[in-house]
Amino acid sequence: MELVDEIRIKADRDTVFAALNDIDVLQRAIPGCEKLEAISPTEFSGVVVAKVGPMKARFAGSVTLSDVKAPESYTLVGAGKGGVAGFAKMRTLVSLVDEGDSTLMRYEVKADIGGKLAQLGGALITKTSKKLAGVFFSNFEAIVNGENEPSSE
Amino acid sequence: MASKATPDNGSWMGSRLPRREDLRLVTGQGKYISDIVLPRMAHAVFVRSDYAHAKIVSIDTSAALALPGVISVTTGADIVDEMRSMPQPVLLPNLPAKYPTFYPLSVDKVKFHGAPVALVIARDKYTAEDAVELVEVEYEELPAVVDPNAALEPGAPLVNEDHPDNEIFSMTFTGGETQAEQDENDKAVEEIFNSADAVIKETFRVHRTGLTPMEPRGVLCDWSESDGLTAWITTQRPHIDRLALVDLLDIPAERVRVIAPRDQGGAFGIKAPFYRENVIIAHMARKLGQPVRWIESRYESLMNVGQERDQINTLEVAATKDGKLLALRNRGVADNGTGETGVYWGFLMPFLGAHEIPNTYTWDKADIKLRVAVTNKACLTPSRAFGHFPTRFAIERGIDIIAHKIGMEPADVRRKNLIPELPYTSVTGGYYDSGDFLKVWDNLMSHVDLANFREEQAKARESGRYIGIGFGTGVELSGMASEVLVPMENQPGYGAASIRLDPRGTVQIFGGDAPGGQGHETSVAQVVASAFGIKPEDTLTTTGDTATTPFGAGTIGARGASYFMSAVHNACVELKNKIVRILAHDLGISAQPDDFEFSNGEVVLRSDSSVKKTFREIVERIIMHPINMPDGEVGGLEATVFFEAAKPMICFNADLCIVDVNIDNGEFKITRWVSSEDVGNVINPLIVDGQMQGAIAQGLSNTMFEEFIYDDQGQQLTADFENYKIATAADLPNIDVTYAPTPCPHTPMGTRGIGEGRPSSVPGALCNAICDALKPFGIEITELPVRPNAIWKKIQEARS
Repeated sequence: MELVDEIRIKADRDTVFAALNDIDVLQRAIPGCEKLEAISPTEFSGVVVAKVGPMKARFAGSVTLSDVKAPESYTLVGAGKGGVAGFAKMRTLVSLVDEGDSTLMRYEVKADIGGKLAQLGGALITKTSKKLAGVFFSNFEAIVNGENEPSSE
Repeated sequence: MASKATPDNGSWMGSRLPRREDLRLVTGQGKYISDIVLPRMAHAVFVRSDYAHAKIVSIDTSAALALPGVISVTTGADIVDEMRSMPQPVLLPNLPAKYPTFYPLSVDKVKFHGAPVALVIARDKYTAEDAVELVEVEYEELPAVVDPNAALEPGAPLVNEDHPDNEIFSMTFTGGETQAEQDENDKAVEEIFNSADAVIKETFRVHRTGLTPMEPRGVLCDWSESDGLTAWITTQRPHIDRLALVDLLDIPAERVRVIAPRDQGGAFGIKAPFYRENVIIAHMARKLGQPVRWIESRYESLMNVGQERDQINTLEVAATKDGKLLALRNRGVADNGTGETGVYWGFLMPFLGAHEIPNTYTWDKADIKLRVAVTNKACLTPSRAFGHFPTRFAIERGIDIIAHKIGMEPADVRRKNLIPELPYTSVTGGYYDSGDFLKVWDNLMSHVDLANFREEQAKARESGRYIGIGFGTGVELSGMASEVLVPMENQPGYGAASIRLDPRGTVQIFGGDAPGGQGHETSVAQVVASAFGIKPEDTLTTTGDTATTPFGAGTIGARGASYFMSAVHNACVELKNKIVRILAHDLGISAQPDDFEFSNGEVVLRSDSSVKKTFREIVERIIMHPINMPDGEVGGLEATVFFEAAKPMICFNADLCIVDVNIDNGEFKITRWVSSEDVGNVINPLIVDGQMQGAIAQGLSNTMFEEFIYDDQGQQLTADFENYKIATAADLPNIDVTYAPTPCPHTPMGTRGIGEGRPSSVPGALCNAICDALKPFGIEITELPVRPNAIWKKIQEARS
């Protein structure tokens, strides 16, 4: 599954990049994130609850940041196991384009899923992934802009 | 209610008797495996692999075991010292192959998405399902082998590490036993190809698809220290399963009883193998000392079984310019999956498929070779049209393609090359015992005016409408003779039946096979009622229980009307002869068996119809009052008879299909389907019609819709009916089944076993019709499934 999209955030690039590396911001922005802990500055582990079609699963996994080029881009590699639901692996390239007062954030997601999740059908997986990514980035934008509680889903 | 008071034409044989089993089946009174409940019965659910190929690093069962209600959690490591591994001799064909060694649960690594990793047993199924979620398995992914050609490359990752490569089986089917003979044959074939007027070469791909019975699999096992193991298994072969359990679990043979429930919601081949799940459920029932049941979910079923076909055949055909077929060459590659299925091991289907390529046509020479690769997919399991669905698609398409090349009518090429006279031995050594192929073909063609159709077709094309006609033929095994079955499956082929007459004048029949909805209870009742001159409802048939039925190889390969019914008939004859001997003695006359007629509940002297006894009176006298008997006779009326035909037997069919193709979007509609069948003498035409309709429907569904899809990581993406589409009634044409039978000389009633291989002529007939409709575009379909988008694409390519 591949997903490419972009979002414009009303904040300068340095602020956005800093937020992207802030575990507290990430925990609040990731939809369904129950726990996120830093193992090192570039390694996190956590638990996310996600609902895909008829299946609700709790994914335990890790996220690693690599190719960090502050404040332009980084690559986020994640892997999670959702118990009986299966597993997910994703690689996301996030790049930031400086537009003065605002920042254009581009993301390219490549995800592999397996187990029962794989059988839900590509259309459903893509739809859910798009929705989750959309929620993440709008939460993220809200947090960066100092707005109140992000939506949980 | 379901039975008729009087037979058609005065005999129950050939009578359209409504099926006796249908009343209970359609009113919810059927008793399937999941209807059987034992006291203290525990429920088993498997933890199955999320990965196609991965090392099992660790399995943490503690959280699952801590859940209240969980009785046990078992892993592969727990059982390796508690049972023998597969294969065991009873599960091995007499064919050289690289058989994998395996256990019911994966040990060390998983080999396909859906492989059993652990087994949870709990007091109820809900608890077991919850506990499955708590079993933590840590995997280390290995590269998945998902393409059969890549699997055969040197250096490919190994699926089964107990062997040096992924080629589980390979064989040359032509030329002889020795390499030198085969080389010489191949050279002769090459010479024919070099000098022939016309040759064609195409690669035909048939996807992974098969059959999906309404009722998935199930196993219920009960252990008793005194009587041993009783196992209810959804199976076509209870007697074989019994031996496998004996050998794998080391239980004295007399203490294992396998019962295939009388009602099984379809089988179609997928309940013929001996499955690993049977072993672990039986083992755990013994270990825990309580009954354990596993009922397969639809998800598990679509992950594990019903996957067949999956072959790539590169076919070459050589012919003269006037349409005489000369030689064929085929190189087959089959995608076997893991190979971890007892009796069949996956490759047995492509093996028979390659053997069946010559089909109904005469060939001077052939060169046929097959390679079968293990991959990280579910093992192929038998599905009706065992292995030859892909090869029939190839050969029937190949006939049309060579006909197009030499500019002949495909129907004419077929008739010209049909085997004109039987018996006949095919270029692969297949023995065709009897029948009349030309009669069946001519009957088919009598249902269509081909010349007129060609005129209509030309006119339609002028107005932008594309219609086409296609043909396909198929020769099928009618039962499996020991001569075929012993080398192929290491099993006997004979049919077995026990008949027990009751003092009240009724009859019990016990059969060693285990039907899955074919209507045996009705057909057997008709055979027995005809033999004894009684009513079908005065009989009762029991099948599938190894404790009460004689040893039989199972309900496989169209063995019903060929082997089982023949055994039933012969057992009746044996008992009738005894009745006549004692009756003649009582009457003080000397008589031959034929001097008496059994009809209308009476045994009547033909030469003087006033001399008679009711069937009940004479039966009661022999069983209950065995005094004043003829010398050497004792009382009782029971017989167990085994039937083996002198020769392997066949049945034969031909199909025609007319389609209307929309060239703007590639959609097609089947406007007519006619079949012509040699089914021998028919016991019940209603049942034979149903078998043919069902088989053709399944063939069409496989051809047009059904497809098991694995991604490049070996993830199976089609484990529900939303993603694995099966044809519904609305998707199918009216199927006009017609008959041109020739009685089989090798069965006592002239009957033939029918239906098993019947879907195999369907994909060729349909695709030939579509290609005929699109002949102006020169389109040749070489890949299944055939879907509108693929046709549309080919039309676009042809137009540009």
